[in-house]
Amino acid sequence: MAPTTETPLTSAVVLAAGEGIRLRPLTAKRPKPMLPAGTQPILEYVLDALIDAGVTDIHLVVGYHANRVRSHFGSTYRDMAITYHTQTNQLGSGHALMQARDGPSGSFLLVNGDQVIDSEIVEAVSTTHHTAATLSVVEGAEADSYGAVKITDGEITTLAEQPASGEFRLFNAGVYAFTQDIFETLETLSVDRGELPLTDAIQALIDDESQTVSGVRTDSFWMDATHPWDLLALSRELLGRGWVEPPVDNDDCYVAETAHIHPDATLVGPVVVDSDAVIEAGAVVGPYASIGSSATVGAGAVLQDVVIDTDTTIGPNTTATDLVVGQGCKIGGGLTAAGRPTEFVLNEAVHSDIDLSGVIADRVEIGGGVTLEPGTLIGPDATIGEGVVVHGRINAGSEVVR
Amino acid sequence: MCGIVGSIGRGDDTVDVLMDGLRSLEYRGYDSAGIALGPSMNVLRKSGELDALAEVVNANEPTGTYGIGHTRWSTHGPPTDRNAHPHTDESGRVAVVHNGIIENYAELKTELEGDGVTFSSDTDTEVVPHRIAQALDDGDDPETAFHNTVDRLEGSYAIAAIIDGEETIFAARQGSPLVVGVGDDCTYLASDVPAFVEHTRDVIFLEDGQRVRADVNGYTVLNADREPVEVAIETVSYTAEETGKSGYDHYMLKEIHEQPTALRQCFSGRGDALDGTITLEEIGEIPQPDAVQFVACGTSYHAALYGASILREMGIPAEAYLASEYALSPPPLSLGTLVVGITQSGETADTLAALRDAKSRGVTTLALTNTVNSTAARECDHAVYIRAGPEIGVAATKTFSSQLVGCNLLAEELVDGPRDLRPLIESLRDLPDDVQSILDASAAADLVEEYADSDAYFFIGRGTNVAVALEGALKCKEISYEHAEGFPAGELKHGPLALVTPDTPVFAIVTGDDERAQKTLGNIKEVQARGAPVIAVTDGQSAADEIADETLTIPETTRRAAPVLANIQLQLFSYHLADVLGRPIDKPRNLAKSVTVE
Repeated sequence: MAPTTETPLTSAVVLAAGEGIRLRPLTAKRPKPMLPAGTQPILEYVLDALIDAGVTDIHLVVGYHANRVRSHFGSTYRDMAITYHTQTNQLGSGHALMQARDGPSGSFLLVNGDQVIDSEIVEAVSTTHHTAATLSVVEGAEADSYGAVKITDGEITTLAEQPASGEFRLFNAGVYAFTQDIFETLETLSVDRGELPLTDAIQALIDDESQTVSGVRTDSFWMDATHPWDLLALSRELLGRGWVEPPVDNDDCYVAETAHIHPDATLVGPVVVDSDAVIEAGAVVGPYASIGSSATVGAGAVLQDVVIDTDTTIGPNTTATDLVVGQGCKIGGGLTAAGRPTEFVLNEAVHSDIDLSGVIADRVEIGGGVTLEPGTLIGPDATIGEGVVVHGRINAGSEVVR
Repeated sequence: MCGIVGSIGRGDDTVDVLMDGLRSLEYRGYDSAGIALGPSMNVLRKSGELDALAEVVNANEPTGTYGIGHTRWSTHGPPTDRNAHPHTDESGRVAVVHNGIIENYAELKTELEGDGVTFSSDTDTEVVPHRIAQALDDGDDPETAFHNTVDRLEGSYAIAAIIDGEETIFAARQGSPLVVGVGDDCTYLASDVPAFVEHTRDVIFLEDGQRVRADVNGYTVLNADREPVEVAIETVSYTAEETGKSGYDHYMLKEIHEQPTALRQCFSGRGDALDGTITLEEIGEIPQPDAVQFVACGTSYHAALYGASILREMGIPAEAYLASEYALSPPPLSLGTLVVGITQSGETADTLAALRDAKSRGVTTLALTNTVNSTAARECDHAVYIRAGPEIGVAATKTFSSQLVGCNLLAEELVDGPRDLRPLIESLRDLPDDVQSILDASAAADLVEEYADSDAYFFIGRGTNVAVALEGALKCKEISYEHAEGFPAGELKHGPLALVTPDTPVFAIVTGDDERAQKTLGNIKEVQARGAPVIAVTDGQSAADEIADETLTIPETTRRAAPVLANIQLQLFSYHLADVLGRPIDKPRNLAKSVTVE
């Protein structure tokens, strides 16, 4: 007899152990869930969605740079208890879930900690869950990149991890509900190719005549950042929706109470300026700029379509568009980083027409008068000397001088 | 330090509520524990860990619908079963738990013994149940017996009692912390909020001299004249889970890793990088003091040394005093002196005594503390909060870092005159990320493997880094139980150098490249000549990393901020050393989190 839930599920497991290899070098010292969505870590949006959907008991599976997650969230988030489960080796999502086996009792939700989701998706899965497994299904052209599905009368009939292009329109949005039986199913599976993906377990349930895997169609908001430049699109989307923390000031300018904006600076909404950030005289920030906690934008700087993470200083008279800057960077005056559609080679895959002037990882120091050629990737702790024109990829910790 | 809990209105859950409450007060340190239940008047107590008491409780299955509990940290008499609280009178009609010290207990005991009462423990507490029982025999009703007894007590105490035949908990506060938790149809009592925060966040912080009568119908707060008084109920913001370990092995490691957040909170909204000003809203305009005297104990004293040092650099005569010495041998002070007490808990008895002494001499007092509404915060003329969040590990970590930032904020607020604070503000704003970069890449754990079996550990520094050296040594001895000493580097050759051997690693804190740094490099060579390995904690500006045998690197910053960063490396070394040695890091032997007795 299949279990039923009439009230929303209150326990959730969140997978936050992965690095996010395709987001390197931003993930050198923190896992992907801690990368900025606007000015907040992606994982905050995930937990918000869970709590808004009625979850009161959160189980976080952490692994890669686990302490960054633990010290950011501590033992509670919005007064809901967080229990941590450690995945020492990253052996896939199924293996990650197994680490939380002692966590939730009864049926529970499972979500990825690195994708921003609307609480409506969680609610939809939570309230319809009545079979062995329920997963959220969204429609979109991205089906090729994610687990594609076929659904008949609310039942998932096919799950295809890497389908041929264009074959599918529906895909798995990574929000699931399971009964405790999922753990037994996972136990029967072997760690193949050094990995135990969750989809293997779901496939096993689909293959099992006695079990049903349900799908819930939803068109609510769901967004992933796969590559570094996706953080710009994610920030743009969140700003456009007003899904940012500080209260709106006016004209879509979201400014934290403790931020300091010089009266001669100009904010062009939508823009978010987080706590204790400083915008100096004459700076023009926005539209679509996310300025993190304690970040500084120097006098006369002009920033548009940027994500500036916490504690970073942008020097005076910088001109930057389509730029992602990590935490704790010190960028000298007069940086020029102007995006134009460019071609990007990442992990031997070519991505064309990407609007990105550059990605600067955590704690990079850049001297005055530097120019970034479109598409530059600077690794963490690198030092760029004065007046250098940077292009291509700069390795972590390296020093570039003119 | 001792912890009191009490609960009425919870029916059959009472035993669990009391035991859970005691567990949440474990962080205060204890060596024995016990509970007393009414109306059964069952009393169970045991020396050692709470698990030992839990076994006794499981074996005896005591019943009761209200009760009191206690974790004891020995002051009068060794930690044995018979010295554990609750204490009772001879007939078992009265059970009492008590924190603090009853100064006139000898006199009361003589009186009682003269009346033929036999004592069964070495504690000062035991006079209380005997006195109450005697008053009952004299015809007092239970409440009058309690009040008449409390009236006779001198010293500092928090007391809770239950009396046979009266479904009530009686309590009194004089000098030791006691808070009331207001629940739905139930009332809680405790030394500190975590004991009942999972049941209610509505709290009454009792004042000295106040007493409480709690029964199933609610509670009444009385003044020392036994008249009911109106009291404010405050809602505390932190939750029970906030005192959890967040998946870290120890609270101490969790709190070390919380420092970026703590420092961000400490500085948030207090510095304006645009106009280069620092403002502490909670103290408003204090005129610039002629002199500043800091009073503090332990780790907070090291923060006080740092604070005094930076104030002197700004031209204000400032000294740091150990609070336990200050109250007994008070230094002279003029009316324009500001006395600043640094205390994490705001309840440190020695610091409170020193502040009270200063106040009695008519000067302005200020508490630099982590605990809103603490006794220090309420008794001083001003309070500045370091906003570090709850700290559970007995060894202070994040609160020290936040105290150093707090000292900077306070110094800049107090001292008049135009100056450009932008570089300081910038470095304080950078601290969270600078600390994070150390946490991400520290080599301290690797060093432990090499030096874990050394004979002793020495720490040296000059200027504001003296405070870091002393704090590094204190952390090391507190949690690793290894011999550790900190010295001003220049003092080495005046004595301590005799202790230095090839088996005593020396941690040299060298930041910047000024004369202090240069002279410390000389001291490094001095100890190396005696064969001692030197571990430099340095920002790489001087040649320290080239001379030293090992290096713990910190990011470059201002001279004011550097001690915070250097200290992080030493915290990590001590933590990993204690971990390798298998010490109970969060509850080191003989130590208590906040020392609420003098």
